[in-house]
Amino acid sequence: MRCNKRLRSSRRNLALFVVLATALGSFVLLASDTAPERVPSFVAWTPENIAVASSGDAFRGSLLAKRCEHCHGVEGFSQMASTPNLAGMNRLAIWKQLQDFRAHKRRSQVMESIAESLSSRDVVDVVSFFAELPVFSDPQDNRVFPGMQPGAMHATIASHLVTFGDGERGIPPCQACHGPVAYKIGVPPLANQNGDYVLNQLEAFADGSRANDINLPMRTIAGLLSEDERKALAEYYGAGLGLQPAGASGTK
Amino acid sequence: MNWRKAKIFLLTVLALSLIPATRFYQIDEPLLRLLRGSHHVDPLALHLSGEFVENNLGTEQNGDGSVTVRMIGQQYLFVPHCILVPAGVPVHLRITSADIVHSLTLNGTDYVVKTLPGTVSVAELQFSRVGEYKTVCREFCGAGHYAMRSGFKVVPRDQFPALRADERGNCAVQ
Repeated sequence: MRCNKRLRSSRRNLALFVVLATALGSFVLLASDTAPERVPSFVAWTPENIAVASSGDAFRGSLLAKRCEHCHGVEGFSQMASTPNLAGMNRLAIWKQLQDFRAHKRRSQVMESIAESLSSRDVVDVVSFFAELPVFSDPQDNRVFPGMQPGAMHATIASHLVTFGDGERGIPPCQACHGPVAYKIGVPPLANQNGDYVLNQLEAFADGSRANDINLPMRTIAGLLSEDERKALAEYYGAGLGLQPAGASGTK
Repeated sequence: MNWRKAKIFLLTVLALSLIPATRFYQIDEPLLRLLRGSHHVDPLALHLSGEFVENNLGTEQNGDGSVTVRMIGQQYLFVPHCILVPAGVPVHLRITSADIVHSLTLNGTDYVVKTLPGTVSVAELQFSRVGEYKTVCREFCGAGHYAMRSGFKVVPRDQFPALRADERGNCAVQ
């Protein structure tokens, strides 16, 4: 009888021990650093990815890109100011954005569903088509595209930021990465971009609603810019003033 | 005859000693990696996993009161752009580069931390004065090099807030 009791109590102890150990273990696991890693984009610029993104078939892409004409324009120049121009865009830049739309790393109701419907080969071909579209249109062409005209004050602010940045605040010049002086890998050239689109993206970067830049460069810089400077930069690029190095274009 | 042999032997030893002297990176780097553990990180995939994912950058408080600061140098920014650290506390700085060689200097001090792609550079700092320290890139890194500046904001130890995991790189917290 006594033996039985002892056995029962030892069993109870064992059960208690198991419960306590599980609780302690889960507490330790929870208390350890469990912050999930935030990945801005699944794209890394490895040689393999660059080779894939550059291997498209522009002709097949031209057929697929009929779906894009409505918003991005027949020749890659959009009639809507808040939609980006894609003609002559860096192919790695478009490829990365489409990958991010597919992975829901960059939010856009329209583009997420369109990018999801494309296969990975379709993406590469569409990218190739837009990248090979000519940037300069026919001089006889008299279509009207949305353009902006920066005021004198805004032109001064923007051309200074584009050429020199702001060393005091640690803002690098735009043209060191977005051209035409130099390009970082996977960075879109802004020379022919629509002003409203540039402004929307700068604001989205600043408030964190767009967060797919690798290692936070654009979120940092857009956050350092004032609201007026963002507008000035958008007007500057929307007016097509980013075509030449800002120091040489005489817009001071 | 014996002297001649000794001369040949000495010259051979001298010639052989040139190998570790000139090829030290091929000999002591694998050795150090074996002894101290690998400091290798993939500069192209810093944002995908590991120590330098974006929510791990900035100031992390350790149990012993010291803080660990993780940074990335890239063309043409150090991220996080402004870092909040307490004064009078050991600061373990861990920094790597996402593209090319940069060099982090603290204005007013003689600290220079070379930032190399592929390896984690480690430095031990301790701020005695409260205030703002400017950091400047000292290795020419391209067209925007001269604007590659950021800063440390040093606050008194008792004013240093308990940082949440998503506030590590933020100077605005206080």
